[in-house]
Amino acid sequence: MTVTIATPRTASAEKDKDPALIRWLIFVRDRGIFVLWAVLLIAFSIWASPYFASIDNGILIANAAALTAIFAAGIAVGIICGALDLSIPGTAALASCVCGWLITHGTPTGLAILAALALGGVVGMINGLIALRGFNPIIVTIGTLSVMSGAAAGIAGGYTISGLDSLVFMGTDRFAGLPAPVWITAALFAVLTVFLTRTRDGIRMMAVGGNAEAVRRSGIHADRYKVLGFVISGFCAALGGIVTTALVTEANPAANVSIIFNALTAVALAGVSLAGGRGSLPRVLVGALILGTISNALTIKGVSPYWATATTGLLLLGSLAVEKWVSTSVSRRLVQNASASVHTGTR
Amino acid sequence: MTDNALELHGVDMHYGYVRALDGIDIAVRQGEVLGLLGDNGAGKSTLLKVMSGAHQPTNGEIRVHGAEKTFGSPADATHAGIQMVYQDLALVDAQDIATNLSLGREILRKGLLGWLGFVDHKAQRRRSTEEMEKLGVRTAAMTRPVEMLSGGQRQVVALARGATRVFNDERNGILLLDEPTAALGYEQTQQVQALVRRLADQGVACVLVTHNLPLAMAVCDRITVLNRGRKVADIPAAETENDHLVGWITGARPSMFASEEAA
Ligand SMILES: Nc1ncnc2c1ncn2[C@@H]1O[C@H](COP(=O)(O)OP(=O)(O)OP(=O)(O)O)[C@@H](O)[C@H]1O
Ligand SMILES: [Mg+2]
Repeated sequence: MTVTIATPRTASAEKDKDPALIRWLIFVRDRGIFVLWAVLLIAFSIWASPYFASIDNGILIANAAALTAIFAAGIAVGIICGALDLSIPGTAALASCVCGWLITHGTPTGLAILAALALGGVVGMINGLIALRGFNPIIVTIGTLSVMSGAAAGIAGGYTISGLDSLVFMGTDRFAGLPAPVWITAALFAVLTVFLTRTRDGIRMMAVGGNAEAVRRSGIHADRYKVLGFVISGFCAALGGIVTTALVTEANPAANVSIIFNALTAVALAGVSLAGGRGSLPRVLVGALILGTISNALTIKGVSPYWATATTGLLLLGSLAVEKWVSTSVSRRLVQNASASVHTGTR
Repeated sequence: MTDNALELHGVDMHYGYVRALDGIDIAVRQGEVLGLLGDNGAGKSTLLKVMSGAHQPTNGEIRVHGAEKTFGSPADATHAGIQMVYQDLALVDAQDIATNLSLGREILRKGLLGWLGFVDHKAQRRRSTEEMEKLGVRTAAMTRPVEMLSGGQRQVVALARGATRVFNDERNGILLLDEPTAALGYEQTQQVQALVRRLADQGVACVLVTHNLPLAMAVCDRITVLNRGRKVADIPAAETENDHLVGWITGARPSMFASEEAA
């Protein structure tokens, strides 16, 4: 179609570059957590010198943060896609016990791991399909959490399955100087980040979390992407469960609910909105690293661990305040210089 | 008249006991802007939702380019060349303008990456800029998330999303607009008005729901008034005036089709 149009221009809307202030505010919102981490690292290097600022301690922090980060990835993908998946500890326990049971019953280790990961995906799919029926995902996943911890205990016969030494290559083994969980976490975050920001399915999945109706009206099956979010979350949970098992070489059927709180703190610190549709995985990773960094530094200085918890809580509240401040400043700016007379922000 | 792009015959729509639409006959031709007026709750949005496939009418038939259609979903209507700009905009706030405009028709990268589903952000941005230019509207940088746009800019993006899709259609499409200027200031209302007019001049059939009478008089070829789910007026814009329209909208003026109603 050839179209020739006289183009009327509105002077006030005539700009292709965002104003510097808005760009700066976006920077604070999107990159602020990296700055925060850098500040913490420098501060702790001075405060806890000389033990804090060493490569070995860095590896220690990364290793300690790895598990939190894996579960946080699951939580984050769920939230970004529009649902808080609380079944993660149950999925982790079940995957861990299934993997352990298969190995002790003569299945090759690789196959057992794949089976447990696939199981995580299936559990996610079941969660998703139930949630699609219009039930609240939080309640649904609390239900599946109980079902799966029960199933895990059933498989393990009520005891831990020990002697899973063939799993150490995912646990305490090191490759090129770095512990296995660090490699696994790095790979997981790299793949998920690329998926969410660069691929059509990932972008659509984020869009579904933000506004499922908009996606549906664009002629896309939004429901499939909702289920996909649960599947990824279940996969991350299973992966976290297997890594936990590998670290201690035994599978524990008890679902450890506290992993949700650590993961959720990392996710919230990363500014992933519970309303869905936004968030970035590199920030979640840094969120987990910040938690690890704080508890590491305080441990070095001999401060009791509950102070680490309290500090993280304060940081979390502080980051909420910054986010609030950024979003209100942006809307105020927009009202001032926008070409429209009415600002209809939804938040 | 065979050049009707969209025709509805005897459409009823019941929400439970609420009769939102009652025996509506309506048609819009290619290149025509049909204004749809009526008080709050008159049934304008409902009628548009029937046209866009979001709701299935209780009774009545829908014809697109003369062929009878039943829309099971908005996707069916989209397939038939109908695009709707909703009153609630339906944009993805956290994503940028280009992504919003490209949703559902993403440009993939070439080669292996494309096969893996990688999106070509650059090409999408370029296409979005071109499309906005073609429509003669400007908002902000294509990389700006929608949540950082003002109400008016969002409206323009939502409108552009619908408009580009009817433009890209082989046939001349049908664009349904539900109060596109509700959140706009004077200048951007003018811009939307010009945009709707231009689309119609390209052969797009537009149905425009609005409470803004001067806008309706300025941009519409024909005006239909609904009152409590019934059509009470259907008249070329040139042959009517503000007071008459207000009368029909409020119900003070008797329906043009009073005799039919009695029958
Ligand atoms: N989902 C629904 N369920 C029940 N009743 C509805 C529903 N949607 C609309 N109605 C009713 O149908 C009637 C027509 O509503 P509609 O939204 O079409 O009005 P409108 O002309 O678009 O009004 P407005 O100018 O306020 O947008 C109203 O009486 C409304 O209460
Ligand atoms: Mg309405």
